[in-house]
Amino acid sequence: MKKRFPHKDKVLLVNITRLGDMLQATPTVAGMKLENPNCKISVVVEKQFESVCRLIPHIDEVISIDLSMTVRALTREGEGIVDAYEYLSDFVNELRSRKFDYCLNMSSSAYTAMLLQLVGIKRNGGWTSDEEGYRVIESEWARLFATSVFHQNRQFNSLNLVDVFRCSADVERHPDHLVIDVPEKDMEYARQMLADAKFTNRGPIISIQAGASQGKRQWAPENFVKLINLLLNKLHARVVLIGSAKEMNIIQPIKDGCNSENVFVAAGKTDIAQLAGILKQSSLLITGDTGPMHIAAAVKTPVLSMFLASAFGYETGPYGKDNLVLQPIIGCGPCNPNKSCARPDCHFHLEAEAVAALTEMRLNGPVHSIPENLVDPRKVIVFNTCFDQYGFYHQTHLTPAKYDQLDPYRTAYRKLWLDDLGGYDVGTSGSGSLLRTAPDLGNDLTKVIDCANEGVRLIGELERLVKDIASPPLLLGKVNDELTELDRQIEQVGYHIPWLGPLTRMFVFAKENISGTEALELASQMAGVYSDLGRRCRKLGTYLNN
Amino acid sequence: MKDYAKIARLMKSDWDRRISHDYRFWMSDGYRDDEAMWESGERDFQIITEGIQQPEQKSILDLGCGVGRLLKAAVRRYRHVVGLDVSEKAVERAGKFLGENPALTLMVGNGYDLREFPDASLDVVLSFAALTSVPTDIACNYLKEINRVLKAEGVFRLQLYVGEEQMVEATDTLHLRCYREENFRRAAEAAGFAVEWVKELILPFKVSFEEIGVVASIASLRKVKVTETPAEAISVLLLPSGEMQTTRPAEEPSGSDLEGWMALKYAEELAKSGDAARAAETLEYVERYCRNITIDTSDLLGRIISTIDQKPKSPVVQVPPAPSSPVASSELYEKNLRALRDKFPKVAQLLEGTQPSGNGEIETIQTADGPVIFFRGQCLDHPQKPASGAAQWVKRTLSEKRIHDAKGVLIYGFGAGYHVEAFLGADARKIAALEPDVEVFRTALATRDLTALFPRLSALHIGPSIDDEVLDGTSELAVRPQSQAAQPKHCAEVRAQFYGSRGLNLLQPKIAVMGPLMGGTLPIAYYTSKALVDLKQRQRLYDMSGYKPGYDLFDQFIFDKVRQVQVQGQYVEMLSQLILDSVSEKPIDILICMALAPINFRALTELRKRGVITVLWFVEDYLRFTHWQSCAKYFDFIFTIQKGPCIDALKAAGAGEVHYLPVGFDPILHAPQTLTPQERERWGSPISFVGAGYHNRQQTFASLSGLPFKIWGTEWPECRPFDRMVQEKGRRLAPEEYVKIFAATDINLNLHSSTERDGVDPTGDFINPRTFELAGCGAFQLVDERSLMTELFEPGKELITFSSTNDLKDKIGYYLNRPAERRQIADRARERALREHTYVQRLRQMLSMIYSSKFEELKRRADSSAWGRMLKRAEPHPELSQRCQAAFERGDEPNLDGLVADVIAGKGKLTETEQKLMFLHHVRKQIIRMAVEEGRLKQ
Repeated sequence: MKKRFPHKDKVLLVNITRLGDMLQATPTVAGMKLENPNCKISVVVEKQFESVCRLIPHIDEVISIDLSMTVRALTREGEGIVDAYEYLSDFVNELRSRKFDYCLNMSSSAYTAMLLQLVGIKRNGGWTSDEEGYRVIESEWARLFATSVFHQNRQFNSLNLVDVFRCSADVERHPDHLVIDVPEKDMEYARQMLADAKFTNRGPIISIQAGASQGKRQWAPENFVKLINLLLNKLHARVVLIGSAKEMNIIQPIKDGCNSENVFVAAGKTDIAQLAGILKQSSLLITGDTGPMHIAAAVKTPVLSMFLASAFGYETGPYGKDNLVLQPIIGCGPCNPNKSCARPDCHFHLEAEAVAALTEMRLNGPVHSIPENLVDPRKVIVFNTCFDQYGFYHQTHLTPAKYDQLDPYRTAYRKLWLDDLGGYDVGTSGSGSLLRTAPDLGNDLTKVIDCANEGVRLIGELERLVKDIASPPLLLGKVNDELTELDRQIEQVGYHIPWLGPLTRMFVFAKENISGTEALELASQMAGVYSDLGRRCRKLGTYLNN
Repeated sequence: MKDYAKIARLMKSDWDRRISHDYRFWMSDGYRDDEAMWESGERDFQIITEGIQQPEQKSILDLGCGVGRLLKAAVRRYRHVVGLDVSEKAVERAGKFLGENPALTLMVGNGYDLREFPDASLDVVLSFAALTSVPTDIACNYLKEINRVLKAEGVFRLQLYVGEEQMVEATDTLHLRCYREENFRRAAEAAGFAVEWVKELILPFKVSFEEIGVVASIASLRKVKVTETPAEAISVLLLPSGEMQTTRPAEEPSGSDLEGWMALKYAEELAKSGDAARAAETLEYVERYCRNITIDTSDLLGRIISTIDQKPKSPVVQVPPAPSSPVASSELYEKNLRALRDKFPKVAQLLEGTQPSGNGEIETIQTADGPVIFFRGQCLDHPQKPASGAAQWVKRTLSEKRIHDAKGVLIYGFGAGYHVEAFLGADARKIAALEPDVEVFRTALATRDLTALFPRLSALHIGPSIDDEVLDGTSELAVRPQSQAAQPKHCAEVRAQFYGSRGLNLLQPKIAVMGPLMGGTLPIAYYTSKALVDLKQRQRLYDMSGYKPGYDLFDQFIFDKVRQVQVQGQYVEMLSQLILDSVSEKPIDILICMALAPINFRALTELRKRGVITVLWFVEDYLRFTHWQSCAKYFDFIFTIQKGPCIDALKAAGAGEVHYLPVGFDPILHAPQTLTPQERERWGSPISFVGAGYHNRQQTFASLSGLPFKIWGTEWPECRPFDRMVQEKGRRLAPEEYVKIFAATDINLNLHSSTERDGVDPTGDFINPRTFELAGCGAFQLVDERSLMTELFEPGKELITFSSTNDLKDKIGYYLNRPAERRQIADRARERALREHTYVQRLRQMLSMIYSSKFEELKRRADSSAWGRMLKRAEPHPELSQRCQAAFERGDEPNLDGLVADVIAGKGKLTETEQKLMFLHHVRKQIIRMAVEEGRLKQ
């Protein structure tokens, strides 16, 4: 694997605001220690996640920042702003005093980027900011992260963000699951809680996380009731409803709807470690794309996960082997995570009976095939999770792949990035013959290649003019205008032809990261960006064609 | 717990003594007879118990009932009345006056609590002219006790003084206490009361002392909880700096300076009225009880004695007149002058360049401490002990926080120099002095050796003129009471200018200007707002003109006039709420409403509750627009364009302060114009008038139809002769257009509007904006005579006035053919206007008056405001501090957006401070966005 900074000494991980993100970083943390056994890893997190970080092995130091307090101070206005300013100054000084030699900012937020500019760490794997306050993404893998979550590009990505994080940090060796330590006292708490639940059934313990971060990603309570009743009747299951106290408005109707002593509500009664204890003792977790899904993956409890609305299994699926991922097929999905949905039709693509059947299958062991009529393959794809030969998370179709129309693109892109960014030899065997069967696609790709070539030519012209002091400034301006127009065209291709979006967006991010003041130096960087674009186009063509 | 009993014993003995001497004088404002006293009691009782329902079912306590002045009125209305006073003598006399009455109980209290009353046993407690003289600590103990004895929701009505805190000794049982209103409110709330209202007490005679910032008030408190707060804590809230440590030996049966002074003035009155016996008795009282007073009494004493005994005045030594220049010839004077030349050569030149007036207003007298100067009968120093009196004043003055915190002190009044000398001896800061009267200072040079004093003074200003140098922004003003008494008007002017100037530079409150929906006042709102910008004040304009079309539509839907008015009222209510909400989002400190601004009483009251100073610039004729009658009392300041009866009427209607402030002009807009020939052709005429077709203008201008005369403006008849005179179909003109008419016209007519007169209004007083605008444009104008004109322009020299239509015609005839004369007059008008009449000058005057009166209040408000706190907190961080200051001066709100606005808009490298602010900006944005999204998406 190509690495930018193979050796690391004092590492700062910035992963501030989401529990899931923190857990998804655990293979990176573990891998970093595997490859740099003597490095010291510090992590900056929001204060409320401090305790979670202490459950993660290999973290040497947890530095918490109290953002809620900071925002409260800012809301006070007046001297509150100075309070926040002083708090930040102290925090920055604290970080500076550690003299970190490497930083991986796993958050794409503008403020973490600005924080790292303030701290001034020279080597970065993720987002940072330049002196003018613009965001900078130095690592190509981190740019791929930004590219993959941009606009419609998500549907063409098959790399799990855990691996993209990991590669941003140059980590190759890593565990094939998320990692968390559950202290014995929390295990005991969970054991006692389950004992006190007084189940009358003797079947498997199945945990269910019904709540989700967004309403549109939350399967309806009546579906869960139906599912649970099936599990109770067929499997004599012991069902544990997990979640936070805030989710009781979802959980209580489910409990009431089932009306069974074999449905126990643990929601609101556990902290993260205790929840991990419950999950560790469960035979399976049924969930959406949630924090508990990652905890289950970390304690190696099998997961059946429904990726509704904006959730996309490839991107954030349960990082581990032999979990089941259900991805509805719908024209609008995966949808924009920042938009609400008044009519979540994707929910109707999943049926309780099918989920119950899959649950039963998975309880019996890893699932490598499913009955043909279990689900409608035009409405839902069922995946089994696995790892490819390079150690990257992957999903295997359990429903016929032919219904997954974008699969050839994802496969081609996967090879492209592993090859071009990772330096892996993925061979030339491709995913089909798309370009041969659809010549328009080839033409589109050729257009971008032509643009890239034109860019290289114009840069050459620009360099010649810069070196020639007698050249008229007007000519220089003309070339510059042509380059601007060319860049606009390339960017627009990504909007007009969605499957080219990942290529052009990588180009845009690369261009934004060009830095320096010397004209020739800038031109040289720019030439590299055009030639990267051309090369990647050609490679993508190969992988789509073979 | 404080030793209340000790002070209470003093109160008891003091009041017993005073009652024995003269109960009507000491307790009842000196009413001529008992009947007058009962009448006043009835009046005051009605005032203080106003609005209390069903008195016949209620019990009431009059705390500090004295000889029962209000009790007589109380027993006629209330179920049960209790009178309580610390003075046994007073209660004894009240018993005699009121006799046996089962509904009345009289009690002698211990002077500091209400132990005689069980908890929650009374419906109402009142205190009129009683707690005002009680030492603050005890007053607060009473506040707590009243809370205890009142039933739930019981009412406490009290008379008090709010405004500038007075320096009073803790053992003084006579001097009025004055508290800052916000402190009073805090203290009352801590004592378990809700403050229902505090309003000014208005009696037929003067009870407030605006000149020293003391306003007699009535407050209504309602018990809302049983307080746990100790009286000491309440006292700290009420008077944070506490009362002065007493110089009076505890339990000594002696009166204060004030008591002695009051008794002497009373003796003088008695002597003048021919009551020699009682005058002598009062003198004996002074002699017996007020022997140790430190204030100047000898002159007064002399006058009383001479009145009583027809004895000659006490020996006053007049400075012996010398043949040519009596004072300047003295050796001491020359010596002082030499020292003066070294340090303050300009002052020395002033003295050398002028002759002593020798008008006999000044006398000197020798005391044991040295000579003192009398000015118009007023001793400018302590008449017997000038040095120790000055030392005591300095000690007292230095204990004031504002003086203590200032970088320097400007002493108003030099007198014979004792106070300045004492100040220099006690304080190392820069000390400056100002003596308004040149002759007083000349006399001081001739009577005392001041050579050691001058080198230590930082500045010395002699004479009545107040230059900018005097108004040093870093110093505080310390006014010597003697000089203030001798030159009250000048002192007030200095105060106004001093605090006005300081306010302009230091306070920077947020000022909002609220315009009317429509009409001629609307542009004045714009000019006002612009002038505030020019004065570098933090301002915002509430331009309400956009709401006019809505207002105008009502008569298309509703035809009944009464309903129209109701709906208009609701529209104004909506706009008022709009302003309140706007102020909630972006707080202001001062609201300047232009006449006819659409804001109602509820909003004004609410704004005042929030501490906003309400100002009305009433630029209309008060006789024609009379809505001020109902709204005046909601304004802390009203500025009018009329004087005399107008000011009296506004004051009588309850306005806070009322000042004369004419309108002006905007020198950028109302300036001479350079016109093209085409413009001259379009806009020009030998004679022009710009304005609406009011009745008197139609009557007057109809007779000018034979002249080359153009009329511009709205509301003119379409019939003859106007059809040929009115230009461009009588459309409304923009100011940018009418200044061209002024420039292109030989004679601009200006006739103040009248709906009643046929021509010139012979009683017209105020000056319209057009007068100033024409002058500002350098245009020649013929304007009708107005009584206030001469103090603003010199008729005949700067403009020409006419008294009648015939006079106007004559003057048109005269000036039409005299372009040079017209030019000269117009140029002089413009010079005068630029010198004195711009809106910037008007607003400076307005703000000076507001700031001089409300300086401390605004300063406290500024210090405790979000900006004030932020600026202070940011001081340790120079760049942040600078950013805060810049955002503050821009008028931004004290939030992050204001601080990062220019960073976001700007380009280039960010400093570390900018990076930190951007971090905070992004954090806030993201966290708030996440919270909003979470809430939204959860659904």
